[in-house]
Amino acid sequence: MAFLFFMETVISGLLTGVMYSLVAIGFVLIFKASGVFNFAQGVLALFAGLTLVGLMENFGLPAWLAIIATIGVMIVLAWLIELLILRHLVNQEHIILFMATLGLAYILEGFGDIIWGSDVKVLDIGLPQGASDFLLDGYGLYVEKLEIVAAAIATILVIVLAIFFQKTRIGRALRAVADNHQAALSIGISLRTIWITVWSVAGVVALVAGVMWGSKSGIQFSLSLIALKALPVLILGGFTSIPGAIVGGLIIGVGEKVAEVYLGPFVGGAIENWFAYMLALVFLMFRPQGLFGDKIIERV
Amino acid sequence: MGNQGESNSGMDEPERKIGDVLLKVDNISLSFGGVKALSKVSFDIREHEIRAIIGPNGAGKSSMLNVINGFYHPQEGTITYQGQVRQQMRPHDAAKQGIARTFQNIALFKGMSTLDNIMTGRLLKMRRNILWQALYIGPARKEEMEHREVVEKVIDFLEIQAIRKTPVGRLPYGLQKRVELGRALAMEPTLLLLDEPMAGMNVEEKEDMCRFILDVNDEFGTTIALIEHDMSVVMDLSDRVVVLDYGELLADGSADEVRNNQTVIDAYLGVSHDDVNTVDPAA
Repeated sequence: MAFLFFMETVISGLLTGVMYSLVAIGFVLIFKASGVFNFAQGVLALFAGLTLVGLMENFGLPAWLAIIATIGVMIVLAWLIELLILRHLVNQEHIILFMATLGLAYILEGFGDIIWGSDVKVLDIGLPQGASDFLLDGYGLYVEKLEIVAAAIATILVIVLAIFFQKTRIGRALRAVADNHQAALSIGISLRTIWITVWSVAGVVALVAGVMWGSKSGIQFSLSLIALKALPVLILGGFTSIPGAIVGGLIIGVGEKVAEVYLGPFVGGAIENWFAYMLALVFLMFRPQGLFGDKIIERV
Repeated sequence: MGNQGESNSGMDEPERKIGDVLLKVDNISLSFGGVKALSKVSFDIREHEIRAIIGPNGAGKSSMLNVINGFYHPQEGTITYQGQVRQQMRPHDAAKQGIARTFQNIALFKGMSTLDNIMTGRLLKMRRNILWQALYIGPARKEEMEHREVVEKVIDFLEIQAIRKTPVGRLPYGLQKRVELGRALAMEPTLLLLDEPMAGMNVEEKEDMCRFILDVNDEFGTTIALIEHDMSVVMDLSDRVVVLDYGELLADGSADEVRNNQTVIDAYLGVSHDDVNTVDPAA
C-alpha cells in the first residue's frame, strides 16, 4: 500500500511537471531565438486562455473553431510584437529586450482584463475529467484523466517542435539569430521572419499551456504567475534546450510532490512552494548552464 | 567619378580578366543625426577585381561597406548592383544576390563549432521544404550532403581542418577571422566585402590571409572589396584603390597612382588636419 501511495505521488508529480514543461518550452523557444528571457510567456498563456474562453462564451463558437481562431489571434499578436517592439530593438543589449518583454507582460495583462474581464472563468473544451477508471480499477492508482491527456499532448508537441527546430534550416537560423544579429543578417537571414515564426510558435505553445492549466483550475489571472515556476525549471534544464525544459519540469514536478508528502510533515508543510527555487539555487552553484544547456564559453 | 580612375581603367593586370562594372555607388551621402559619415561619394567596383578602400580612421570606410550590404541606408544617392539601380540595399536581399561580408570586429556565432558556423553560410541555398528536412529523408538528406561537401571544400581551402569541431569562441583571433571568411565563402558570393581582414594579425597570419584572398579571386573569380590599413598589403593585393577622408572621396585609381597622389599623402601625414596616422603610404 505504501508503495502504491508512493507511485501515486510520483505520477501526480510527473503530470504536474508536464504542465511546468509546457510553459518552460515557450520560454526556451524565445530564448533560443533572441537570447532573452521572455517575461511575458506566462501572460501569453493567460491571454490565450482568456481569448479562447471569451470567444466561446461571447460568440458561442464551438471549441474547435475557437481554438483555430485563438491560434490566429496569437499569430497576429506575434506579428504585432515584431512590428511594434522587436524591430526597433535590433542589435540592442539583451537586458533591453528583457525589459521590453516585462512591459509587454503588463500591457497584455491589462489588455486581456479590459476586453474579457477579470473573473475566474471555467474553461471546458470537452477534455475528459475525473479519475482514470482503467488505472483505478486495474491497479488501484488514482490518476486524473485530464493529466494523462495533458501528458499525451505535451509529448506530441515536444516531438513536433524538436523535429522542427533541430532538423530544419529554421533551427540553424534560430541559433544564428540568437547568437549574433549582425552576422545573421549578413548571411541573409531575415530577422523578421524568424521572430514572427518563433513568437507565433511560442504563442501556440502558450495556448496549449493555457488550455491545460485552465481546464484544471480555471482561467484566472494567477495563471501568469506559473511563469515564475518555469524559471527554476529552466535553470535546471538549461535555457537553450527543449529536452531540458521537459526533464527539468518533470524533476521539479516529482521533486516538490515527493518532498511535500514525505518531508512536509516534519517542517510544517508548504514545501511545494519553495522546493523548486531551492533546487534551482543548488543548480546555479554547481551547474549554471543547466543539465542540457549550451556550455558558456568566454575567451579571456 | 575620380578622374584618376578613368585614366587608369585600361591598365588591367594581364593575368586577371577584369570585366564590366559589377557595383556602382553614385553620389552616396549618409549622416547620423548631425554627423556626416559620407558625402557625395561615387565609385565603382568591376567584376573580378580586388578593390581596396583606404583612409584614415573615421573616414567612412566601414560605413561605405555597410551601405553596400544594406546595414545603413543612405539619405542620398543610388547603388547600382548587377545593373539594378536602388536607393538602398537590404541585408537579406544583398545576401540573396551574392554579396557576402566579414566584419571589423568579428561577428561569428560564438557558441557554434567552426563547421556549423560555415554551414550557416549555406542557409540561403537550402531549397527543400522544411517538412522534408524535418523527416530528413530523400531529397532533403541528399541536399544536406551536398551542402556539407561545399563546406568541407571551404574548410580544406582555408586549411582549418584541425579546428572543424572546435567552438569558435575558443579560437585565437587570427583563426576566428579565417572562419569568418569561410562562412562568407560558403555563400559562394559574387561580391565579397572584407572589413579589415588582417587587423590584429601577426606577419605570418597576414601572409596566409593575403594568399587566401588572392586565391579566392583567382580560382573562383570572386570580386573583392576590402578595407585595410596595412599599406604594403593594399599595394600588393589591389587592382584599384579608393581613398576616403572625412567621408569624402579623396582619390580613386591604381595603387601606384594613389601612392604618389599629393592629397592622399597630405591626408595621411596630416597637413590639412592633425590626424597623424601610423600608416606610411610610401611603404
